[in-house]
Amino acid sequence: MSDEKRKILDMLAQGKITSEEAEKLLAALAAPESSGPEDSLGKPGYKYLRVQIEPGPGSETQDRVNIRVPFKLIRAGLKWAAFVPQAAQKQVNNALKEKGIEMDFSKIKPEDLEELVTQLSDLQVDVEGKEKIRIFCE
Amino acid sequence: MIPMIMKMRIYEEGKRSFRFFFPVILIWIFVAALLIVLSPLVLIAALITWRSGPGKLLLFAYPIFFSVLFQLSGLHVEIGNLKRELLIHFE
Repeated sequence: MSDEKRKILDMLAQGKITSEEAEKLLAALAAPESSGPEDSLGKPGYKYLRVQIEPGPGSETQDRVNIRVPFKLIRAGLKWAAFVPQAAQKQVNNALKEKGIEMDFSKIKPEDLEELVTQLSDLQVDVEGKEKIRIFCE
Repeated sequence: MIPMIMKMRIYEEGKRSFRFFFPVILIWIFVAALLIVLSPLVLIAALITWRSGPGKLLLFAYPIFFSVLFQLSGLHVEIGNLKRELLIHFE
């Protein structure tokens, strides 16, 4: 039994708190352990990266996007990217650079992939303007 | 799990909409057969080009290609506006 739980029970025994208050305190202590979907490895159990774009009130084109990509596919795709011939990789990197993205996918190692996917699990972006953009994991 | 069915929907204003359910498992069987048939040739090509570099890539690309196919299950892409719409879904 943890010190916090013992203290709560002591306070209840001494009559400093009521049984209802003790119950609430014990529930509050247990809450962080049971919150959030987790798999057997203790990592968040998210399976998909979602991108949703919905038209806002000022949108003229009424464009809608709803994309769901499995994380396993992202992992496999990034591994596949390492096998793209160097000449093609240079062209891709140059095209990305022109768009302001300086990233070399061929230099991503397997351990970096796990880190990247783990970090993506915590991602949630909400942008509201002419379009409502949501990027999140589920 | 390997995707079994691909759903596709294409809609364009003023034209007939197009809905398509395809058992992609048939394609995977064909692709697997093709890759097995081609594997001796790929092996020879890999051995010939081993020193110059592409040989290793050829061999490693085989299992990674299959892993990409197997992970397609659950992919959902839906893009559209009032005039046109495209949906691709693997399950």
